[in-house]
Amino acid sequence: MPLKKPAQQPHPRREPRFDRPLSLESVKEIFSGCVDFMERTVYLNGDRQRTVTVCYLLGMTRNERLSDYILRPLAQDRSLSQAPEGELFSLLQYGALYNLAAIRRDTLDDVVNDLLLGSCALFFPGRMDVLTLPVPTEEKRGVGEPENEPALKGSRESFVESIRTNTAMVRRKLKAPQLKIKEHIVGRQSRTQVDVLYLEDMADPETVKQVEEKLGEIDIDGLEAAGNLEEYMADTSRSPFPLMAYTQRPDRLCQGLLEGRVALLADGIPLGWMVPGTIDQFFKTGQDRAYHWMVASALSLVRYFCALITVLLPGLYIALVTFHPEAIPPKLALSIVAAKQEVPFSTIFEVLIMLLAFEVIQEAGLRLPSPIGATVSILGGLVVGNAAVEAHIVSPTVLIAVAIAGVAGYTQPSQDFGNALRLWRFLLAILSSVGGLFGLSLGCAGLIYHLARLESFGVPYLAPFTTGTKMPRGHPSLLRLPLPKMKWRDGAVHSKNRRNQR
Amino acid sequence: MKGALALWLSGCLLLSGCSGLPTAREMGDMALMRTMGVDRGADGVEVTASTGPRAKGLQAEGEKALVLSARADSLSAACLSMQGHSDSYVFYGYVDQLLVGEELAREGIKPVLDYFARDEELGLGAQLWLMRSGTARQAVESGGETGVDGRLSTMQLDGKLGEASMSRTAGEVYTDLMERGAAFVPALVTGELEDATLTEGGYGIIKGERLVGYLEGEAARGLELLLGRAPAEVLTVQLEGNRVSARVNMANTTVGLEIQEERPTKLQIKCRADVGVTEYEQELSRAQQQALSNQLKGKLMDRLEGALAALRQWQADCAGLGLKGAAFHPQLWKEIREQWPMWFRMLELDIQLQVMIHD
Repeated sequence: MPLKKPAQQPHPRREPRFDRPLSLESVKEIFSGCVDFMERTVYLNGDRQRTVTVCYLLGMTRNERLSDYILRPLAQDRSLSQAPEGELFSLLQYGALYNLAAIRRDTLDDVVNDLLLGSCALFFPGRMDVLTLPVPTEEKRGVGEPENEPALKGSRESFVESIRTNTAMVRRKLKAPQLKIKEHIVGRQSRTQVDVLYLEDMADPETVKQVEEKLGEIDIDGLEAAGNLEEYMADTSRSPFPLMAYTQRPDRLCQGLLEGRVALLADGIPLGWMVPGTIDQFFKTGQDRAYHWMVASALSLVRYFCALITVLLPGLYIALVTFHPEAIPPKLALSIVAAKQEVPFSTIFEVLIMLLAFEVIQEAGLRLPSPIGATVSILGGLVVGNAAVEAHIVSPTVLIAVAIAGVAGYTQPSQDFGNALRLWRFLLAILSSVGGLFGLSLGCAGLIYHLARLESFGVPYLAPFTTGTKMPRGHPSLLRLPLPKMKWRDGAVHSKNRRNQR
Repeated sequence: MKGALALWLSGCLLLSGCSGLPTAREMGDMALMRTMGVDRGADGVEVTASTGPRAKGLQAEGEKALVLSARADSLSAACLSMQGHSDSYVFYGYVDQLLVGEELAREGIKPVLDYFARDEELGLGAQLWLMRSGTARQAVESGGETGVDGRLSTMQLDGKLGEASMSRTAGEVYTDLMERGAAFVPALVTGELEDATLTEGGYGIIKGERLVGYLEGEAARGLELLLGRAPAEVLTVQLEGNRVSARVNMANTTVGLEIQEERPTKLQIKCRADVGVTEYEQELSRAQQQALSNQLKGKLMDRLEGALAALRQWQADCAGLGLKGAAFHPQLWKEIREQWPMWFRMLELDIQLQVMIHD
């Protein structure tokens, strides 16, 4: 049978990963060439006849705990030299060591995995099982403020890279045993912990099952970016719109859990995801429930309006100015004519170039350190923009239209959703330049069709605005009603328990 | 794959022009016409169009109004030929003032309205004015460097606020002609004041499609009362030792038909005018108030009767009195609609006027 080319060969998945007997030699062989792999043989209470070998990965374990809770008792506990040989393992597992946990392992895979997660392993001569003791380092970034979702009136906690810290923050806010946290390992090389969180008496079991199945199906080398989870969990390959809402804020994640959604946390990524994702989630902020309902409702309407502005304005400008000038109010038309007279480029070209320039300036500002980024924005946005207008390269109305569309896009709480709107803005502008309002209408119809086809874990993306789920809605999505009146969870999420208050 | 192919082919068709999609035009190359005048020409019609005040560049430096004129045997031909008279694309989508010369109006105004209704750039939203004792061309050109558009817009706005004669759109006039067979159009005359190029000249009455005459002065105010609109005038009354000025603030007119043996026998018009005293020399006593009421009633009645007399003479019910009066007798209206102008002339009139004075 001919050998397949490397690109056609299946991913080399092996179960178990290390198919050999559990022994110290095997572990040493596996970690050969790893400078951080450490081993130390210890005489139990100074008895040279009784030894145990301690293995760990330097930097993954906390040295003080390893010394105080494990090495010190091993070296000084008299009972260890007096106990019968056969009871030594049990004695260490159930009492002699001060560590919080001690786990008996009998496969090489488990031991290697424990070592990688920050445990130390105790190898006993002549035994085929190993005692692993988790002493992971707690070196991590402190809990800071959520920079992308700032709060004026609310918690200032943000998720960090450590998954246990994140689950603890959630647990501290939802002190309920119904909050279930299930762990999955994703990534053959990264072995990243991904936790599924849900409230057992609220979340839809089918959604939980789907989430866990999809996590189990992910077979990649490593989970080092958010996309590794998002693109494998939800089929986003044909749509720029995000199908999983994410947040930096534990309080917002908890709110999602209380709505009956299922949450995901991944080690190393300071974000939490909530599924199923419906379009209204991307217009909500963590502050919506903190403000007065009238203010929150007004701001919600502003965000929806701004989404329309950012996606439609450049296309609408092209359509009106180039194809349907009679629809522009006369005084505005006169201003546009006056400003456009000495500009050598067509309106279509002007708008598309300005949209592109806007993206370039934004990208440049993002890639540079913040002080330089601000300078680039000022230079690009104000100086170059003003110079371009004065040099009659672009007309001021185009600049204003593109700037308004751009700024309106920044009102979107979800960066991913805003990015999708930016892409569609280009498409609609191009369609408008081909067919005016007809092209724009066609594009809008296409956008609605596209959104209507999207699903997230079996729930229509447009569920809050449609009857696709045949479930009664909880409350209006455009407005935020007074909290005492929001008695029902959203029907589209298929929550087991829809009533959320008396 | 099939979808992508279909999309690609559609894109090719659209981009290659095989689409019937609208054509792109740059606004920077457009001359936006604001005012159009139509007159009877030597061998057809004469069209004059003006841009009104224009601006150029970022600082909006003022430019003279562009006035174009063309003669042709049809309105569309004249409009088309004007394209060649300008460096810019002449765009008629912003024409919101339409002036029609008296001579053309006497021949027939309907072809002009038809053209405005069917042309893709023009529309029936333009304000329609009738040039009395002059041509539309003279009126359009009288605006000089700034154009006449500003003056007409001001008159239109004043009309809406009740400070001047009523303004009418071409669409309103066209609808009245089709529904009532008659319509009224505000008329303009060339003013004598230096700063007022055009001034009000009453209302031109169109019957069928031709101009039959004008209502001016008191008769024009009477038409406004018939339409339930407070006339834009101040009435001065000389009472015993007291000169009082008053203005009708609100008017409400209802119309009814008295019917006997399934035939209309009387046209009943009930008008209520709320009058406010604007000036007086001495505070009005109760007796003076009564006297004022009586005198105002007489004046307003004269206006109503004057307007009705002229309209009945022309058999032109441009105020839609028949249609309003027969609102509760649809079957009867169906039978007499064709002969209504004759009925309108012959029916006995019953005018009831109530004047309410407010200090």
